[in-house]
Amino acid sequence: MRESEFHDVRWIEGESTSILLDNGKIEDINTNYGNGCGVRALCGGSWGYTSSEGVDGIDAAIKAAIELASDVNKHSPREKVTLASYCEPNVDTLPSVKENPRDVPVEEKVELLKDLSNNASCKGISSTSASYSESTLKVHYTNSEGADCEYELTRVGFAISAIASDGAAYQIGRESNFDVCGYEMFRDPEILEKAQSAGKTAVDLLDARQAKGGKGPVILDPELAGVFAHEAVGHASEADLVLEGSSILADRIGEEIASPLVNIIDDPTLHKFGYYPFDAEGMQSHKTDIITDGVLNSYLHSRETAGKLGGVSGNSRSQGYSAPVVRMSNTYVDNGNSNLDEMLEELGDGIYLAGTRGGQVNTGEGIFQFNAEKGYIVENGEIGYLVRDVSLSGNTLEILKNVVLVGNDLKMHSGRCGKSGQAIPVSDGSPHLLISDALVGGVQ
Amino acid sequence: MQNYDIGNKVLEFANKYGADEAEVFISANQLTSASVRRNLIESARNQQSHGLGVRVVKDGAVGFASTNVFNRLEETVKSAIAMAKVRDSDEDWKNLPSNGKYPAVNGIFSKKVNELALEDCISLTKEMIDGVCSFSDIIAPSGSFSRMVSNQLIMNTNGVEVEEKSTAVSGFVDVITTSGLPSTAYDFRISRDLDIDFYGIGKEAANLANSCKNGVSVESGQKDVVFHPFAFSDIMESSFLSSIEADNIQKGRSSLTGKLNTDIAARELTITDNGILDGGIASSISDDEGTPSQSTGIIKDGLLKSYIYDSYTAGKEERSSTGNAVRGSYTSTPSVGTRNVVFDHPASDIISEIKDGVFVTNVIGAHTANPISGDFSVEGRNAFVIKDGQIEKPIKSLMVSGNIFELLRNVKGAGDDVRMVGSIITPSIWVSNMNVIG
Repeated sequence: MRESEFHDVRWIEGESTSILLDNGKIEDINTNYGNGCGVRALCGGSWGYTSSEGVDGIDAAIKAAIELASDVNKHSPREKVTLASYCEPNVDTLPSVKENPRDVPVEEKVELLKDLSNNASCKGISSTSASYSESTLKVHYTNSEGADCEYELTRVGFAISAIASDGAAYQIGRESNFDVCGYEMFRDPEILEKAQSAGKTAVDLLDARQAKGGKGPVILDPELAGVFAHEAVGHASEADLVLEGSSILADRIGEEIASPLVNIIDDPTLHKFGYYPFDAEGMQSHKTDIITDGVLNSYLHSRETAGKLGGVSGNSRSQGYSAPVVRMSNTYVDNGNSNLDEMLEELGDGIYLAGTRGGQVNTGEGIFQFNAEKGYIVENGEIGYLVRDVSLSGNTLEILKNVVLVGNDLKMHSGRCGKSGQAIPVSDGSPHLLISDALVGGVQ
Repeated sequence: MQNYDIGNKVLEFANKYGADEAEVFISANQLTSASVRRNLIESARNQQSHGLGVRVVKDGAVGFASTNVFNRLEETVKSAIAMAKVRDSDEDWKNLPSNGKYPAVNGIFSKKVNELALEDCISLTKEMIDGVCSFSDIIAPSGSFSRMVSNQLIMNTNGVEVEEKSTAVSGFVDVITTSGLPSTAYDFRISRDLDIDFYGIGKEAANLANSCKNGVSVESGQKDVVFHPFAFSDIMESSFLSSIEADNIQKGRSSLTGKLNTDIAARELTITDNGILDGGIASSISDDEGTPSQSTGIIKDGLLKSYIYDSYTAGKEERSSTGNAVRGSYTSTPSVGTRNVVFDHPASDIISEIKDGVFVTNVIGAHTANPISGDFSVEGRNAFVIKDGQIEKPIKSLMVSGNIFELLRNVKGAGDDVRMVGSIITPSIWVSNMNVIG
């Protein structure tokens, strides 16, 4: 067997159930049980990675990973990688599961989805779709430095979407919530309110006007501002992107890059959807202050990037058996002092953007584009009529500087984040933000 | 255990536990890849996946379960049946597909790709980096090479037994300029065969980033826009394709409901869903539930000719499936989806015909479109001014918005640069009256 400086093994066992209800009828009901492993080996500056499903041959997978690493090192060597030092994590912060979802009969989950659908079906709604998911994941991590740790995590969640149609036009309203907890999430009547809100959004959007594009002041609601924190700032703070030369935040540690009101944090220890006790390299999860009082304070690290740039690792994550990548967890803009009324008054005339239909960012050039679910025209500090098909785009660093007020009403939203072809659970959030100048795209 | 033996075992268990019909979908994939960080190969990977999904029908209700642990076949079948029992009998459910006559599909498996050694993969990846480095002051922050060998088997109790082996190879590279204000670009190629110019991927991406340095701004207004195949396929995928899927039609989630044989597009535009295209990334002899693949005309002479169906949505309308059942992986049930989507339009030298417009190479944010109304608003990237029949200065930033159904009517022409962007095959498309915000 050839030699490597380092190798590690993640053994994962998972069980999941998902149900999809369409217009009140079960469309799909699905269970999965699987296991497998992902193995990494480091040789000089080259990594080898193997993954295989099923129970066979961890030893063979380690041997194959070492061979891959050593082949790359031979044919295309890279500067030697020094990993930041390892220490065994404490796995004592796991969230509690009050009601194991596996103990709840499937029939009850179907009833729950019917309830959600009914609550979303207000007048004007032509169809609904509701989905439920639960999963239990066991992760066992070992490495050649003697690490040996494991945890088990349960996740549940739902998503509801409602479509309103007046025969000619269609509009969608969506709500969802995913969390690290048990079935107790569904005992909270608030989820039915969320379903109602999805229905109401769709119906309201049918009558919404189309927005006029242009530059001007905007208020972002906590959901859209959270997407900005995650997409535009969080991704650019991932140290792998910094090192490879595709982050606008490279070489800016200690620099004032945002309004002094802005604090952005990534915290995997929070019991939100992006929670984990240790990362995909077996490192203890910990809170990172990315931006403190407007000053760029830290990137997010793996052991490799922390070894190279200095910093604390703990943000390596992966989907299933895929290779670990530097990722966010629960990322948010911290609370400020303003309330929404003060912000509306300060805004005067402008637009209030709410909710999100997703977005995309170019971290290298620091440019982003997000579509809001809806917007409200604000005149003289009063929220006026509803507009749809509105988007926000611009330059990350300009927007950060243009934050003039930060609300005191931080709210988190759960979702999945895609990078390197892997989707992982995350949450993001913010209080309301007032931005003095931004480019709003509309249809007119 | 061989896949056939596993399949037979699953169908036996299904019979034993009282399933009226059963289907097993087994896939075994081997992915070999190399990833690039800052002009150097960071890692090589070998990822194996092998698993199965079981669909059973019991008293007119369908259940599904999946696993990758082959000594749990019996438990998996039992949970699929338990899932079916939770559901009411579905009067729209007809049957699993029956054994059909399968077409011959060319160019799906390449012996050369199958036999690529790791060393070959590394040297092809290096070629891509060399292409980037043929420009000074430009690097490849990230990129990847990948080679996939797949083996798929579908068996059901109605006699379907389809096995197919396929290959695919692809190269992707991101580039960024290292002096002045950053300018980025990317390029990407995928093929079933080893016929990709990897050096060319790197060189074209670098050339694009280089020509986008020092972008200017443009005035807002209604303009002619030429969409490169990257931009056009991205917008089509997010805002149009779901509206031709039969389940969306049947559930009232498509703006094309009731529009068959009506005029919905420019006269010379043809759109075909083709599951048997030579060398197509989404080509195979059958779809993901064993229905023979076919080619289906979607838009011809401006008229909407057909929607696309899997066996369930076809059964609802008492018609035959168009071979459009697709699965994300063995862990999911089949649902309606497109195969290779081919856009055809007579080609001409479109740039020379445009007085005042923009050329958009790719877009960000296409997935934020409203797939029902067809409204979209995207940021145009690597865009250029078109003035008096010439491509001129690069544009720093612009938004392009509109409605996909209006766009289809406003198609004015196409280039001769047909390109396979994954499963969408299209030339550059010229559209008039697009809303551009500078």
